[in-house]
Amino acid sequence: MSLRVLSLNLLKNNRNFLQNAVRNSKGPGAQALAVAPYATQVTVQATPAAVQKQKVSKAMKAYLERAKEHDDFMKTQDLEFQIGKRHLANMMGADAETFTQEDIDEAIAYLFPSGLFDKRARPAMRSPEEVFPARKAAEFDETGRPFHSMFYTGKPNFFQLLHDIVEETNKLYDLEERMLRRGNKPDENQKLETAGFQLLPKDQLERVLVEHIADIEYQNFTNAMDRLISLPYSYKSKAFIERYLKPLIDQSKQLEVPKPKIDEQGRQYITTYECLRKTARADVTVRLPGTGKITINGQDISYFSSEECKEQLLFPLNYSEMLGKVDVEANVEGGGPSGQAGAIRWGIAMSLRSFVDQEMIESMRLAGLLTRDYRRRERKKYGQEGARRKYTWKKR
Amino acid sequence: MFRKTFNNLPRLSQLYAVPARLQNTQAAQAPTPAEPEDIDVIEQRILKHPDYFQVNNLFTVRDLFNARVHYGHKEGSLDDRMRPYIYGSRLGHLIFDLDKTASHLRDALNFAAHIAFRDGIILFFNRNAINAHLVEKKAMEAGEFSHTRFWRGGIFTNANVQFDAVTRLPDLCIFLNTQNNVMAQHTAVRDSAKMAIPTIGIVDSNCNPNLITYPVPGNDDSPAAVELYCNLFKEAIWRGKRKRRELLGLPPLDETQFKSSRSRSSKGKSG
Repeated sequence: MSLRVLSLNLLKNNRNFLQNAVRNSKGPGAQALAVAPYATQVTVQATPAAVQKQKVSKAMKAYLERAKEHDDFMKTQDLEFQIGKRHLANMMGADAETFTQEDIDEAIAYLFPSGLFDKRARPAMRSPEEVFPARKAAEFDETGRPFHSMFYTGKPNFFQLLHDIVEETNKLYDLEERMLRRGNKPDENQKLETAGFQLLPKDQLERVLVEHIADIEYQNFTNAMDRLISLPYSYKSKAFIERYLKPLIDQSKQLEVPKPKIDEQGRQYITTYECLRKTARADVTVRLPGTGKITINGQDISYFSSEECKEQLLFPLNYSEMLGKVDVEANVEGGGPSGQAGAIRWGIAMSLRSFVDQEMIESMRLAGLLTRDYRRRERKKYGQEGARRKYTWKKR
Repeated sequence: MFRKTFNNLPRLSQLYAVPARLQNTQAAQAPTPAEPEDIDVIEQRILKHPDYFQVNNLFTVRDLFNARVHYGHKEGSLDDRMRPYIYGSRLGHLIFDLDKTASHLRDALNFAAHIAFRDGIILFFNRNAINAHLVEKKAMEAGEFSHTRFWRGGIFTNANVQFDAVTRLPDLCIFLNTQNNVMAQHTAVRDSAKMAIPTIGIVDSNCNPNLITYPVPGNDDSPAAVELYCNLFKEAIWRGKRKRRELLGLPPLDETQFKSSRSRSSKGKSG
């Protein structure tokens, strides 16, 4: 890509050079105008008074050399990849021309089975464009003059962004002053709504800018953006600001409480699927109004023999003071008793959100009832009795 | 690259015996070439002209006065090396001799125009937060470069490592203030001297002009003064660039295109 652009530039220069050569051959007769003695006025002449030798800077020469090296390397890598693909296709008895990346992955998984857990550690074959990172294109032209005005800061895109933010801020200051003079006030209805949004986090901003930035620089960015957003006329720069805002999806999704449905008997009900805890998996239906009947896989609460599991199950109902007011039906599979009880507990709590007020939901959230418990069984270690417990050992 | 050739560039103040504001603004005669010459030859020839780009008509001493260039710092902070440029003091504040400032500024503008004429890279510096945005903007408008941020050591002296590639360094550094903070000089002043990059610097009464090739005594803090300097340097640079394009028979550049700073803001670089 970069090379293509570059060669285009060179081509353009060569054309200029050719034009110059043609002009030279016209001779002195074509020289109609004298050169202006100084540079305060510009006169465009039919023929140039001077010609320039094509110079390529050291920087560009070095870049071209590196680019060529990289290109050669990629070419050999690509060749090897094509040969490898052909071999694989032959081994699998498929057509090499229509052999896709998916086929390659399948073939390798079949021909070179690996017991390694981490998928990235298993053997793989991919096209060299995916394996080797893309190289930066030249940031300067053939005379070595950089393209970006802030090139010498080392982080031109980031500092350009800061520059743009200040540009917007200054624009809004001017606008505010003009409006004040005219006696106008900012429109309350158009006010910029930033609740549920946050500024791009550092890693995402780095990806947008293709540059690494330090913590203090990111802080400068957030300070500048906060200042811009807080201005009374910030809605005028909405398009600019929104480029660097990110919606808080996770939180807003959780805030949405599903509406209860109505069953044949005219009762409200809500079903929560995929209630997970350890290796247990449950779906829970809560019906309102009810008599406090609990059904687990067709049995009542005696499905669990231990007291703790029963307590687990009843906790969300107790907490939200809905015990005896709703019926619970649960289908659960996998895992042991405590995992199953935990899965149902989470399902009940999530379903109850539809039947209690906002304050109670917030209270339940703070109590940790709506939080998924991601803990899993810890593996046993060799040389130890269990995950943490050591064998009995007495020195003497 | 063409640093050596500037040794015979005459300083305006030596050539003009008359006071700066009475200087002759008549067009000087240049020989008309019959055939296109090599631009290098022209570059050499115009050096003999005392003021080829007519920078002396860019400003008057009154402009400097109106832009508050004459205000120095308080008496106690005077750097002894700035004593020759001081006119006197008023209410404890030093006042610059604007006649001297004007002649130094004209030398500097002339030099900047010559560098721009030779396709040099010009880098603007400024470490004063109030003026940083202005300087960046003016540098863009001049089609040149700016560095108004924290100076990472080694940008000049270790450039090939800093930029991961062989890099062309600027051919002229213009310091709109030479101090990094109140106490210390900007490291780039020293680094430019090390790398033999010529410098133009606005030196206030508390600065050290020794390492600056073209020091210009004057106020380096007031936004009005900095804006004036920026506009003068911008115009001088454009005169140099326009002249070059004219001599090479290229169409003049659209100078307004450099004003839209936004156009390049989100340019990706992978390729």
